[in-house]
Amino acid sequence: MSHLLEIHNLGKTFRPRKGWPWTPQSVAIEPLSFTLEAGEILAVMGETGSGKSTLAKIIGGVDTATSGEIWLNGQKLHSNKYSQLCNNIRMIFQDSENSLNAHLTIGKQLEEPLLFNTKLNVAERQERVNVTLQRVGMLREHWEFYPHMLSSGQKQRVCIARAIILEPQIVVADEALVGLDPSVRAQIINLMLDLQEDMGISYILVTHSPQIVKHIADKILILYRGKMIAFDKTDIVLKDTQQSYVQQLLHEHLKQNIQYSSDTSAKIAD
Amino acid sequence: MQLLDIRNLTVEMQTPQGIVRVLDKVNLQLTEGEIHSIVGESGSGKSLLAKAIVGFINPNWQVTADRLWWNGKDLLAMSPQQRRQITGRDMAMIFQDPNAYLDPNSTVEQQIVEAIPQGDVRGTFMRRRVDRKTRVKRLLHRVGIRDHEPIMDSYPFELSQGVAQKVSIAIAIAHRPKLLIADEPTTAMEPSTRLQIHRLLARLAVSQQMSVVLISQDVGSILPETKRLTMLYCGQLMETGPAKDILSEPAHPYTDSMIRMSLQTQQELPHKARLPTLPGAIPTLRHMPIGCRLGPRCPHAQKTCVKAPTATHERQRVYHCHFPLLVTSS
Repeated sequence: MSHLLEIHNLGKTFRPRKGWPWTPQSVAIEPLSFTLEAGEILAVMGETGSGKSTLAKIIGGVDTATSGEIWLNGQKLHSNKYSQLCNNIRMIFQDSENSLNAHLTIGKQLEEPLLFNTKLNVAERQERVNVTLQRVGMLREHWEFYPHMLSSGQKQRVCIARAIILEPQIVVADEALVGLDPSVRAQIINLMLDLQEDMGISYILVTHSPQIVKHIADKILILYRGKMIAFDKTDIVLKDTQQSYVQQLLHEHLKQNIQYSSDTSAKIAD
Repeated sequence: MQLLDIRNLTVEMQTPQGIVRVLDKVNLQLTEGEIHSIVGESGSGKSLLAKAIVGFINPNWQVTADRLWWNGKDLLAMSPQQRRQITGRDMAMIFQDPNAYLDPNSTVEQQIVEAIPQGDVRGTFMRRRVDRKTRVKRLLHRVGIRDHEPIMDSYPFELSQGVAQKVSIAIAIAHRPKLLIADEPTTAMEPSTRLQIHRLLARLAVSQQMSVVLISQDVGSILPETKRLTMLYCGQLMETGPAKDILSEPAHPYTDSMIRMSLQTQQELPHKARLPTLPGAIPTLRHMPIGCRLGPRCPHAQKTCVKAPTATHERQRVYHCHFPLLVTSS
């Protein structure tokens, strides 16, 4: 039985801007391997500069790896085969304000991936866009809207709609929940979980919020200076007391506000 | 002695659609050495409140208040020069994106030197130079940068976010202000850096007897040392009072849902359970609801909510709601 996504010795090095041909290359990601099953949420954590965004970009097909290979459903993934990539792996970026095209209506933007990757005709494409818009909690009428007419939460929903419109198996979210208001963030998390239940999407979630990870992730991958130092189920990693770095990254922040967690919800119910 | 006393501060903005109240009768009291958190979602006017305190507001907007007192002096009655003098001497502000707020053209040392008050350094030319340098070093040590040499000579783009924020705090405390306003200093920072900045602010409040107003989006990311908490929504004051009381027994439905939406306070939620949230989105300036502005999103809203609720005082806290969650115990 093959896994949904298999990463074998994936590595990435950058050639320095200045230097001789024999100058050593800087290592962004040291070769790492992991697997992802269908319907799982994998959280990638680490400090700034630990290579977590690079890893997300390579899996999302935005960047190419210097070594190693990616297997999807038992097939090798080639970074130059766009149809295979786009139909199966899609990406959501951090800044929804800037990742939408300001010159196109929402409908047009959502139609584009269909235009390039499917053989649907106009009516079918429109139908698909309408269904997807409703799926992410928006209306048919939003087809005519331009991005500036929407609130930040709605823009993030459009980004998610654009990611799921081709019904991919994996969605890579690169810091997609940073900088959102608490109510919007909670709405988006709920939406992502709902979509996972409906469509069986796997998420690769790049984040640095231990609370979100603890709440929704099935597996955690922790990078430290390009090295994978932990990869396991969430509860196992959370219980892991061997590695001080993991402790520092996760537990300090989960403990920080513990004094406020006295059962508020119980008191409200009275 | 109250350091800052604000009563019914209202800010009105002229728009093509008419006058919009972006801050509606907000109250804030601050004593010396106190940490006060202001929490609200985007568009709640929390940054505007901070800007109104330091007088940093668009001159075309109308600022009215029953009282805007600083140390017993009326800030609104002063001439701009006088007000500027007081603001410059007693207040300081730090912002969300430190790398963007620091001057990209000069080194950290030059920027901190600029912030040191003129009267502090005396003596001959050479003596002043040496004195300034030692002061810069001391300030950097005070904000927790031990390795000062490389930092002093670097430009803002070479610094990481956390260090840049520490430098901007060093600039802010260079003239020993009585009030430091931190406008979302740690949003979009990674947790370990956020923790460092929070500890630094808490330490400064104690050691320098400095009041800190911390503005935040999320109740989960306020300082644990916060004494008083103010919740704002769309320019209206929802609830204010001692932080411990509010967080353990919220009276206002908005406070309650903010606490429940914040993941930090939800420790016992089952894995992958749906999070509680407020329906809908924050209204835009043009479409402000009348009465209580939370109305359309509030889970407890009823007909009377189209009238703005009056303040209810209870023990040390104040809340504006027709249907508070707490039953008044008097």
